Amino acid sequence: MKSYFLSDQNLSAFVEGLMSKYPVIAPVAKRSRFVFEKLVDASELRLDYDTTILPPKKVFFPAKQDLIHFDQHGFTCCIDPTEQVLLGAHPHDIKGIAMSDIFYSDRHCDNNYMANRKATTIIGSSVQNHYKHAFFGTMNAERPLTGHDLFMTAIEGGFAVDVVTERGEALLPLGTFEPATEAQVAAAVEVNRKAEEDCPEKLNGTAEEIREKVRTSFKSPVWEAFAEKCFSCGSCNIVCCTCYCFDVQDEWNVDGVSGSRFRLWDACLTREFSEVTSPGGSENFREERGERYRHRFMRKAAYLNEQLGGPACTGCGRCSGACTANIANPTTVINKLLEQ
Amino acid sequence: MAKVKCAWFDFTCCEGCQIELTNFGEPFVDLLEHIEPVEFREAMSEKTTGPIDVAFIEGSFSREADRRRLEQIRERAAVVVAYGSCATSGGVNALKNHTNDYTEEVYGADAKRPHLDSQKALPVSAAIKVDYNIPGCPIDKAEFIRVVEQLVHGTAKVYIPSYPVCVECKRRETVCRYDDGDHCLGPIALAGCGAPCPADGIPCEACRGMVKEPNEAAMELVLKENGNLPERWAKDKSRMFTANIRGDA
Amino acid sequence: MSCSCTTETESLFLPQVAEIIDAKMITATEKHFTLKLQNGERFDYAPGQIVEAGLFGYGEVPLGLASSPTNGTSFDLVVRVLGKVTKALVGLEKGDVMTIRGPLGNGFPVEEFTGKDVLIVAGGIGLCPVRSMIEYILHHRDDFGRFTLFFGAKTPSDLLFEEDLEAWRCESCMHYMDTVDTPDAAWKGNVGVITTLFEKTEEITPDTRVIICGPPIMYKFVIAELDKLGVARSNIYVDLERRMKCGVGKCGHCQINDKYVCMDGPVFRYSDIQTLEEAI
Repeated sequence: MKSYFLSDQNLSAFVEGLMSKYPVIAPVAKRSRFVFEKLVDASELRLDYDTTILPPKKVFFPAKQDLIHFDQHGFTCCIDPTEQVLLGAHPHDIKGIAMSDIFYSDRHCDNNYMANRKATTIIGSSVQNHYKHAFFGTMNAERPLTGHDLFMTAIEGGFAVDVVTERGEALLPLGTFEPATEAQVAAAVEVNRKAEEDCPEKLNGTAEEIREKVRTSFKSPVWEAFAEKCFSCGSCNIVCCTCYCFDVQDEWNVDGVSGSRFRLWDACLTREFSEVTSPGGSENFREERGERYRHRFMRKAAYLNEQLGGPACTGCGRCSGACTANIANPTTVINKLLEQ
Repeated sequence: MAKVKCAWFDFTCCEGCQIELTNFGEPFVDLLEHIEPVEFREAMSEKTTGPIDVAFIEGSFSREADRRRLEQIRERAAVVVAYGSCATSGGVNALKNHTNDYTEEVYGADAKRPHLDSQKALPVSAAIKVDYNIPGCPIDKAEFIRVVEQLVHGTAKVYIPSYPVCVECKRRETVCRYDDGDHCLGPIALAGCGAPCPADGIPCEACRGMVKEPNEAAMELVLKENGNLPERWAKDKSRMFTANIRGDA
Repeated sequence: MSCSCTTETESLFLPQVAEIIDAKMITATEKHFTLKLQNGERFDYAPGQIVEAGLFGYGEVPLGLASSPTNGTSFDLVVRVLGKVTKALVGLEKGDVMTIRGPLGNGFPVEEFTGKDVLIVAGGIGLCPVRSMIEYILHHRDDFGRFTLFFGAKTPSDLLFEEDLEAWRCESCMHYMDTVDTPDAAWKGNVGVITTLFEKTEEITPDTRVIICGPPIMYKFVIAELDKLGVARSNIYVDLERRMKCGVGKCGHCQINDKYVCMDGPVFRYSDIQTLEEAI
């Protein structure tokens, strides 16, 4: 793998170079938090971010995505990707994207997602500051990091830049890079190793132990105990980088003849997610909030393992932070199960 | 196609939803190609007595004396839409349902005058059959347009979600009020508005009402522990718009 | 990014247009449609597969195909009025069009039934998806052993496919039995839940292949009867229903453990899912 060095002084020029050719989506500040947004000015870039409110999945799969436009004459599909750059994705978020890629391409290829995904060049970046709920050091840490094109690690005086794909390498002429020294390459490895080690929260079991434990705890009283405070608000779902469920809705325009069919991020914690209309009202396959609360953990830790080759969690900690009732934290819940 | 005759009526309310309609701008102008307003106090002086296709009713039913007027509207209108929180749940007015009556103290000798004679503030549906409810204080313009579009063209019933405001906040990546050290009723508040208030840095007050099976006990706890509200505030916080909906209604 | 697509702009959500060539109400709330693709192509599917039937501006609903693919170029769907989409669909008449995505899902493993005695147990509207298999068996009658059909409905007016039922009653190559929970004055047949039919026949051998489709509550009671008769659970197939939004294993609404009803089902071998919570 080729490695280069990008000095702190040359960072802006590289970002501006990228912006001159592509829309560049990168972490920027939003009040007390950070979000991935299209850069308007290179100075907005905050590679020192801890985490973003929403994971980068929104770049390929926006919260509301049109699927079909219809009118009195017919209908058309809405796949219209733009070549773009996603800059500054943390390693665990890159793993999350790689998992979404599997969900959306496995068996039936979902081009409404894949077209946007394929049109995006991903430049990863090292974790400079930890989100207080992060536990990626003990969740899917061994999972290979793939799917990105370049990776930038913050080291003394600048960034060690690993070239992962030719597509990533093709971006290098937009900036001023020099070959990285052996010491710089070694420093980068150490930075990324330490980032995992320094995660503020930790799971006390391997992926396999967790899968086994969660799977066999279906009837455990733990779910109900935590769910007592659950709002079924779905926040943990919506901010999750491996949640990919959606609802499909149709909407008319004011003219009453044209309109759109779109999909919206959905959340299995909400009551209506598992509801089916039936004669005389509705039937709910997960009627109790404890059942819905359990479903999320089952799905992340057990149900999807076979498809992904590991748990559907990256340890980003967004769910823990988004939960106002403070019951969504996977380390708290899973460690508790492991104790039993 | 003949335009759909629409009339707007107000009961116990601030008429803010009517004002909100006049603030619509372009979407409302587009709508005028399909509808003909025949009565609309905030925007026109004409009144009608004939049949109407759609009656939009704003405000709560809080005086027995209003029942007859509501019934007359129902008789004249093919479709009745209650819009705004006052009309759909009693809204802010329903706060009076849970407090002492101070009419004597405030009005003294005038307390018995007929226009002060009011009862519990109730939704319009407590007096007449309502075909559609559009909640919100004020109503959400986009949702109003969708409902009118549906009524005009007879198309699909508008979907109003049953999940809480948190879902919509997260979808639009709003910084959680609790992350900003504030409080918020989003976890139990009914969505559908698109969560504009928290996006502007204002806590959700649940103006559209509550979700099905709201976890009110957890809300009280979170308001206290994360929102730093004193015990009594935490208990009463959601009453502003949900006095008729809460578990203790 | 393992993606096998050849056309990168092909959307899973783009439907085909189907024209209604026949439509009739068969109960107070159910309408039977016969359709063909507007482009003239044959709609190719297996018995037990599903489609997402839709109308733009209203949405889509998952429906089991209610006819056998051996019927020629047309195919049947039955729509029951439940929500806004089904209400709009039921308003359609002959000559109108609806949209179709599919066929989706796995369908019945016909080869597992070949040469065997077959029992189909259908409750209420659950008769619609299994009608594809019933017709298939009747079209290939010599390929199967003894064929028994149990059908249960709430009341006599809920009995679907009246003409079919008349024909099946007289059919010598199959044994059709039905029952209603609540009879009316004219009803002379069996009364009681569907499991009571097991007491009225001695035809069900332990080696019978069984299909069950009906309301959620029905499955476990029917399976208990089959256990008594010694039918292996690996020979029982259940046709499940969930709220499928996409039909292609993405939206997550129909997930039961690691299975998607829309993609791994709707037909499951009972022994494969008997330990899965939330399945039955």
